[in-house]
Amino acid sequence: MTATRQFRAAVVLGYMLSIAWVRRNLMSLVWLFATPFSLLFIITLSTGGRAFTLGVIGSLILILSTVGTGLAGDATYYRLETKLQDFFVASPVNQFGYLLGLALNGLFFASLALVVLLPLLVYVGLPLIALPVVLLSLAGVWLFSSAVGYLVSTFTANIRNGWQSGLLLSVIVGILPPVFYPAEILPYNVLLFAYAIPTTDAALLIRSAMGSTHNLPYWSPLIGGLLIAISLALALAVTSRVARWRQP
Amino acid sequence: MNAIEAVSLTKIYPRSKTQALSEITLSVDRGEIFTLLGRNGAGKTTFLRISATQLTPTMGRMTVLGHDVKNEPLAIRDRIAVVPQEGGTIGPLTPWDHIYLSLLARGMSRSEAHARAEKTIEQLELADYRNSPSDLLSGGLKQRVRVAMAVATDADLIFLDEPTLGLDAVSRRRIWGVLNEIQKQGRSILLTTHYIDEAEILSNEVAVIDHGRKVLSGSPAELLHNMKERVRVDIVGSGFSPEELSGYGRVVKLAERFRVLTDEKRGRELADEAMKRGSDVGLARVLLEDLFVDLVGRDEE
Repeated sequence: MTATRQFRAAVVLGYMLSIAWVRRNLMSLVWLFATPFSLLFIITLSTGGRAFTLGVIGSLILILSTVGTGLAGDATYYRLETKLQDFFVASPVNQFGYLLGLALNGLFFASLALVVLLPLLVYVGLPLIALPVVLLSLAGVWLFSSAVGYLVSTFTANIRNGWQSGLLLSVIVGILPPVFYPAEILPYNVLLFAYAIPTTDAALLIRSAMGSTHNLPYWSPLIGGLLIAISLALALAVTSRVARWRQP
Repeated sequence: MNAIEAVSLTKIYPRSKTQALSEITLSVDRGEIFTLLGRNGAGKTTFLRISATQLTPTMGRMTVLGHDVKNEPLAIRDRIAVVPQEGGTIGPLTPWDHIYLSLLARGMSRSEAHARAEKTIEQLELADYRNSPSDLLSGGLKQRVRVAMAVATDADLIFLDEPTLGLDAVSRRRIWGVLNEIQKQGRSILLTTHYIDEAEILSNEVAVIDHGRKVLSGSPAELLHNMKERVRVDIVGSGFSPEELSGYGRVVKLAERFRVLTDEKRGRELADEAMKRGSDVGLARVLLEDLFVDLVGRDEE
C-alpha cells in the first residue's frame, strides 16, 4: 500500500472513530473542554485577567497534547477491547496509517476548542502573519503527543492502566511544562530539561510570535522550532522501532 | 503453493514463558476451509495469530500465501483479513459504518466498498439493523458485524477465530453459508472453533490441537475412518450396568445416559437388546465429537 493509500486509510479511520462516532454521540465533543477551559478560567480569575493570554496559550497546547497522550487509553481500548488493532494489523494498513488515523480522530475532537481558542489568540495579540508558524508548532505537539500515547498503549496490559497512563502523560506533557505560566520563573536546570518537551517550545514560540520578549538562556524561536522537529522525529522513530504493532 | 505452510512452529510467550505451540507442522491448501479444533487454551488462537502476522513465532517456519510470516509480513497483509476472537464493535457506529468504512480503509474504491458492504449486509441478514448504533445490538448481532467486516473484503485468505461463538443455530448456519460461498470463489479460510459440528460440516480439513501440539489432522471423513468404532449407541434408562455395556464396546457416561462406541454389528445387537428391555435407545454413526473427546478429553471423563 502506497503512502497516499496509507494516508487515505488514516483519514477513513480518523473519520470512523470521530465524525461517525460524534454523529450519534454529541457529548463526546464536550468532555475535552473541561480541563483546559477550567484552567483558563482559574488562571484568568486569580490573576485579575493579567495572565489571560498565557491561559489561552496553555489551553490550546493542553488540548492538543491531551488528545495525543489520551491515545494511551484509547488505543489500549481499541487493541484489547474491540481488537481493532488486530483487525488492521492483518490488513494493508500499516502502523503509521493506524497511528495517524487515531491521531486525526483526536484532532477532530479538539477542533471545536481550536475554533474558539485560535481566534481568541489572534484577538489577544497574535499577528495573522505568524499563524502558520503557530499552527506548525501546534501540529508538532499534537503528533508528538499522539506518537507517545500510542507507543505507551502498545505496552499496556489492561484498559484501566491505559486511561491512567494517558492522564499521567497529559500532566507531564501539557500541565507541568511552562505552558500556563512563564518559563522565566523556572530554575535554570529545570528550564533546560523543560526545553526538551515540545509543549514548552510551542508555548515559547507562540509567546515570541506575540512579541513577548524572552530572556531565556539557549533559546530562540529557531532553536524552539528545531527542538519541536527533533522531538517529533525522535518520537516517530522510537515508535516505529519499539511500538508493538505485531505482538512479540 | 499452499495457503499456509507451518514447519515445526513453536511459540513461547516471552512474559509468561508459556509454551503455547510445540513444533506444529501442517499445511492448508489453497481454496479450502481448514479448521483448527481444540479445547480452550489448546493453542488454536496462537496459531491463527501467527498466521495472520499479529504475533511472532519463537521457532520454526511458516509461510502464508508463499511469504515468510516473520520476514515478509507486508506482502501477506495485503491479501488477508481477520475476525479476531472476542472483539467488540465501536460504540455508536452502525453495522453499515463498520463494514463500509473498514473496506475503504483497506484501500477499496467507494463504489466497490459500497457494493460489497450491501451484499454482505444482505448475506448476514443485517439489513434490519444496518443503521442501528452497535451499542444497541445484541451480542450475536455484534458478532455478525465483526464477521461481516472480514468476509466483505476481497482477501485471498480469511482468518476467523471462533466466528460463531455465542451465536444461535440459525445465525451459525447463515455464517457457514457465507463461508461456503467464499470458498467457491477459490479463497481460503482458516477457522478456529471448539464447536465440533461446525468443523465437521464446514471443513475440508481439520487439525486437532491439544496442549500446543497437533494430535491429528485430515479430512473429517479420514479422521473418522481411522477411528476403530463405527457407531454410537445412546442408552437412557437403568436397564444396563456399565460392566455389561462394556462387553459391547467402549462406554462413556454422559449425564443420565450411557454412550457405547462400537462396531456396526455389536451396535445393532446392543440396540435390539436395549429395546427389548424397554430403554430409550439411539443408534447413529460416530461423529467427530466422539473422536475429539477420545483424543483430548479422556482425562476429564
